[in-house]
Amino acid sequence: MNIVVCMKETPSTTAEKSFSPDMRLERRKEDAIPNPFDEYAIEEGLRQQEKHAGSTVTILCMGPATATDTVRKALAMGGDRGVLVSDDALAGSDAISTAHVLAAALKKIGFDLVIFGNAAADAYGGIVPSATAELLGAPLLSYASKLDVDGSTATIERQADIGYNTVAAPMPTLVSVVKAINEPRYPSMKGIMASKKKPLDTFALADLGIDPATVGAAGAREKALSAEKVSTQRKGEIFIGNEGAADRVVAFLVEQKVL
Amino acid sequence: MVDTASARKAHQNHKVALPPATDLYNINSLLNEDERMVRDTVREFVKEQVLPIIGEHFEAGTFPRDLIPAVAQLGLLGMHLEGYGCAGMSAVCYGLACQELEFGDSGLRSFVSVQGSLAMFPIWAFGSEEQKQKYLPKMASGEFIGCFGLTEPDFGSNPSGMATTARKDGDSYILNGSKMWITNGGIADVAVVWAKAEDGIRGFIVERGTPGFTTSDVTHKLSLRASVTSELHFGDCRIPAANMLPDVRGLRGPLSCLDEARYGIAWGANGAARACYESALDYSKTRIQFDKPIGAFQLTQAKLADMATELVKGELLTLQLGRLKDQGNAHPVQVSLAKRNNVRQALNTARVARSILGANGITLEYPVSRHMNNLESVYTYEGTDEIHTLVIGQAVTGLAAFE
Ligand SMILES: Cc1cc2nc3c(=O)[nH]c(=O)nc-3n(C[C@H](O)[C@H](O)[C@H](O)COP(=O)(O)OP(=O)(O)OC[C@H]3O[C@@H](n4cnc5c(N)ncnc54)[C@H](O)[C@@H]3O)c2cc1C
Repeated sequence: MNIVVCMKETPSTTAEKSFSPDMRLERRKEDAIPNPFDEYAIEEGLRQQEKHAGSTVTILCMGPATATDTVRKALAMGGDRGVLVSDDALAGSDAISTAHVLAAALKKIGFDLVIFGNAAADAYGGIVPSATAELLGAPLLSYASKLDVDGSTATIERQADIGYNTVAAPMPTLVSVVKAINEPRYPSMKGIMASKKKPLDTFALADLGIDPATVGAAGAREKALSAEKVSTQRKGEIFIGNEGAADRVVAFLVEQKVL
Repeated sequence: MVDTASARKAHQNHKVALPPATDLYNINSLLNEDERMVRDTVREFVKEQVLPIIGEHFEAGTFPRDLIPAVAQLGLLGMHLEGYGCAGMSAVCYGLACQELEFGDSGLRSFVSVQGSLAMFPIWAFGSEEQKQKYLPKMASGEFIGCFGLTEPDFGSNPSGMATTARKDGDSYILNGSKMWITNGGIADVAVVWAKAEDGIRGFIVERGTPGFTTSDVTHKLSLRASVTSELHFGDCRIPAANMLPDVRGLRGPLSCLDEARYGIAWGANGAARACYESALDYSKTRIQFDKPIGAFQLTQAKLADMATELVKGELLTLQLGRLKDQGNAHPVQVSLAKRNNVRQALNTARVARSILGANGITLEYPVSRHMNNLESVYTYEGTDEIHTLVIGQAVTGLAAFE
């Protein structure tokens, strides 16, 4: 099985954030990490590879040229090779442009199963998986909290407020995963050493046959207007009374993955 | 040639951002990608897996054995050794891992130091090929736990006087004596023991279960409580002659292991110091007295400024030491200097941090008292502060003052 995991480079959640005058997040190379949501996608890719002998895992990333280091970070967890799509013309791309680029790269690489995290920790748009699926004409099994692949069918469980949905789609398919699906492994020391030797290809737009005018800031259909810091002040929530308070506390703890 | 004057001028209008309080000298920028990855991985592991449980282990006086598989999975056991299931990473990477582990607890860092630098290293450096094949992969995977027996009840700072003997008898050696204060002793599957043979001090690999070899744990400790410290007893303990480490004789064997381990300790102390400093800094900003955060008082700021300064100095010291070590140019006196300085400063930082936290500082809710107590052991083991003072004194004067 040819497994591709799409991974975005995001600034570390603890890094100080700053913005350029045109509201682009200023990215410092030393703060870059694989998008924390994508760690679950990578882990799921690796687990599927372990279950299905002979599978390969490719890490696909669209990002600045320096994102090779972030792809290597992902490869330190495991996987066989990395592909970085990087081009100066891509700076300032919106979600739809990103989906165009990923779809073109996926066609070039070939795939049976593509795994995404369900959002990126920096932009939090959450539409790249569905837009990519649409452009590829492939199904998307979204918000998977469990994934099973058997031969030609992928089946997921999707957690909804009222319970699970079990949903299946024929392969090749795209899947986006939520945190409940697994516990990502730490990169191991050997993994870090091995990641340096794994093949990592870089594609430019020309390699994918994409017109630079349709992507990047030039082709963006949306524009960020402002960015505000979330207040980091501690916030408490008080549940009063016997009526359902315990249930709400338990639900909160489950949501926080404490239970 | 670089035109420094004009470069300086060009920089004049560029406003330098305030560096973060926990990296005032931007030491992060001196690390390469691998080094940052190792640091961040171990940091995350400690935050997620160690910090939530370590206080309870400290209080109960138990070593968190459940962490061994995860530590092994990360590849931290013998990570700086090459081959035999080890990752073969640089000295700087190893140091950073020790630093982050000790941010969690000195007991956990001690476990990793002893396994990698005191038990695996002598087998790797001085062992026969058969010994390496037999022990190292299992020790890297955490299946075998190792310990290192040098100190004895009557010989601490001067191990050359050791009383433990190894008598050759046909194809065997017979060990007699005892070793004291041995980290991991009670949980070890393999002990690397130093004893006096006919031809001088020799290293021996003794497996748990060998008749005549027993261990008993030291209880009622007030320091390194989340670590196993034991006594090893040898009473006519017969081991195969093939268990002797063939490639080293004399005190150089154990001392070279200690040099490896105390290199990691110098780094580790930075981690303990950072934990105390961060805790005190955080507390000073939120604890209100006399209608102000206590961090707004000059006396508190002086404490924090000293802690921050010593942390920067300690980190720069170990990074340069690591760079020298990776070039093969680190001298033992440099390791002594870094161990002495960093542990001494970490201990001081822990004590001062404790004062900033007031009464809260004495509890296990905060890490500072735990680190403070732990660091008392770190101050003494792997060469006491005083002995390292004498090593530096000898290096600069050319005159030995040990006896
Ligand atoms: C928690 C813990 C774990 C340990 N783990 C291990 C282990 O795994 N393996 C192992 O072999 N050992 C281990 N040790 C032992 C440790 O290395 C010794 O405690 C240390 O070497 C000091 O020996 P000592 O305690 O006998 O003190 P002593 O040598 O008796 O020293 C007592 C005091 O006298 C000072 N002193 C001694 N000689 C001089 C001198 N010439 N000039 C000035 N001052 C002097 C010392 O600096 C110290 O202040 C451990 C110790 C502890 C506390």
